Amino acid sequence: MSTNIGRRTLLGAAPLAAAALAASARPARAGGQVVVGTWGGDYAELLTRNVEKPLLAPQGIEVLQDIGSQDARKAKLIAERNGRRSSMDVVHLSDTDMYQMAQLGVFDDVPADIVTNAKNIIPALHRAYSIPHIFSGQVILYNPDKIKTPPKGFADLWDPKWKGRVGIPDLNYPAVTFGTAIMAGGSMGNWEPAKKALLDLKKNKPVVYPSHEAMAQALKAEEVWIAPMWLARTYMWRKAGLKIAHIVPEEGAIPVIFEAAVTKHAQNKANGWAYLNAMLDAGAQAGFADRMGYVPTVTNARLPDDLAAQIGFTPAQQAKFNVPNYEYQAKNLPAILDFWNREFKA
Amino acid sequence: MPLLLLPAALLVCVMMMAPMVLLFRYSLNLYSPTQLMVEALSPANYLNAVRDPYYRDVLGTTLWVALLCTLLALAAGFPAGYALARMRGRWKAWLTLLTIFPLMVGNVVRAAGWMTLLGNTGMLNAALRGLGLVGEPVQIMYTTGAVVIGIVTVVLPYMILTLASVIESIPRSVEEAAANMGARPFTVFRRVVFPLSLPGVVAGSALVFILCMNAYATPVLLGGSQFKMMAPAVYDQFVRTTNWPFGAALAFILLFVTLGLTMAGSALLQRRYRG
Repeated sequence: MSTNIGRRTLLGAAPLAAAALAASARPARAGGQVVVGTWGGDYAELLTRNVEKPLLAPQGIEVLQDIGSQDARKAKLIAERNGRRSSMDVVHLSDTDMYQMAQLGVFDDVPADIVTNAKNIIPALHRAYSIPHIFSGQVILYNPDKIKTPPKGFADLWDPKWKGRVGIPDLNYPAVTFGTAIMAGGSMGNWEPAKKALLDLKKNKPVVYPSHEAMAQALKAEEVWIAPMWLARTYMWRKAGLKIAHIVPEEGAIPVIFEAAVTKHAQNKANGWAYLNAMLDAGAQAGFADRMGYVPTVTNARLPDDLAAQIGFTPAQQAKFNVPNYEYQAKNLPAILDFWNREFKA
Repeated sequence: MPLLLLPAALLVCVMMMAPMVLLFRYSLNLYSPTQLMVEALSPANYLNAVRDPYYRDVLGTTLWVALLCTLLALAAGFPAGYALARMRGRWKAWLTLLTIFPLMVGNVVRAAGWMTLLGNTGMLNAALRGLGLVGEPVQIMYTTGAVVIGIVTVVLPYMILTLASVIESIPRSVEEAAANMGARPFTVFRRVVFPLSLPGVVAGSALVFILCMNAYATPVLLGGSQFKMMAPAVYDQFVRTTNWPFGAALAFILLFVTLGLTMAGSALLQRRYRG
């Protein structure tokens, strides 16, 4: 086989090479891949069904889900922050963790001209570095067979009538601490009053559960009758047959928001923005509501009335949301966890 | 020949040592809630961990739980290991397979099994109530007892298999000779079998002690949130507070204590029975 390249061959190939070079130099193009660091289970499946197949596949974008725990994604972001390539283009985290990672400068700000659906985001949930995908809030759930008069708020956990029947989810220690602080006169920017109140709660012999699944088992067995929990979880447990009702605490609910961002050193940045835009699609967001109990974060998403009544918050309840003070929270979480482990759980 | 082994040996050393070296370097850094890790060369994390009564308590709990579980595993594993070693034919293969069987499912799955057995509405409490032995459910879950039961069952196959492989190499004729000379079965065990199986006892105990010291899933799932051992405490620092420097320091303290005690225990056992 000859390896000589003749003049005609070279001239013939020149336009092709030029086209190839032009294509590779283009900053954003349809098609290609996007690597999405996300949760597994229902969430990943719903992303495929509502976001990836209907909205990104037609654009020729192939999605590679990097499924793992939130902690693993945080570890990757921290480890890769000084590198030149990120192993993930899009990262999914909860609001508190997203804020903490954003402070390390690992994300690009969301460009409103590319992520056009961002204009529909509920204003209170808007951030520069991420988009909110779904949200819920902390409510008080209770067993209506055992607790005939519905509780009103956090203070009911301290009612001696429910001694030994109060469940506390260990994983939700920040929201439980701030919920307690607000009840005791503090705020989302002052958790100090929670210390005494939580130590007082120990007199009521609360059971701290290491996982949400363990708490679900205890609720099912009617070992505990009242507990603070995310409304989305409460809805899913009720759907699964648990005898539980809920109230939004009169002090106001603390919202939890699950967000997505594009990494600074993403290899497929344009597709990352396309992914975020698709996540904000009204139809795609509604798909998460029934299965997971989370509320859409865009104003143009519509839910069936009965579903909205079960998983949503009324405008009055939303107005009373105790939105986390992320900066304060990031600085104080180590101290809160220390107190939680050493004094509250001890 | 040694030269040919060098690349593979180097690769293994690098793969095993590099993460440890990196983690040790992290342990000398300082933590900031906003920057997470600040470059430094400070022993502060080690000093804080050692001076803090909370972490001393956690280490103390880890130590006594690990020691208790190792002793229980040895006590339960020796007869089983002996029986397995002396068994012949098809049964031996089946029983070896059965011993290995629990290792085929993860610790989390096994802990979940214990949760359904030991819970207030679990099988054990249902049986106790059914037999009229108790009126109210007995609290077994989220107690130290549940953790010890869970860990012992996790480590038992390692102890049995290690002991069985060593006991197999002890000729049966040695035991028969001792018996012929008038030794009672317990004397045969105490003076012949146990000393000869010492390498297995040392290896099995060391392996099991290390596994117990580093237990994570069982203490978390069966001990509940109030029960703290070192591995969950390390996890808390890495994951819940993102304090990698302090988490790394705790991990190295756990490593040094485990290593020191394992070596001391092995040396002591060998001196006691060889001397």
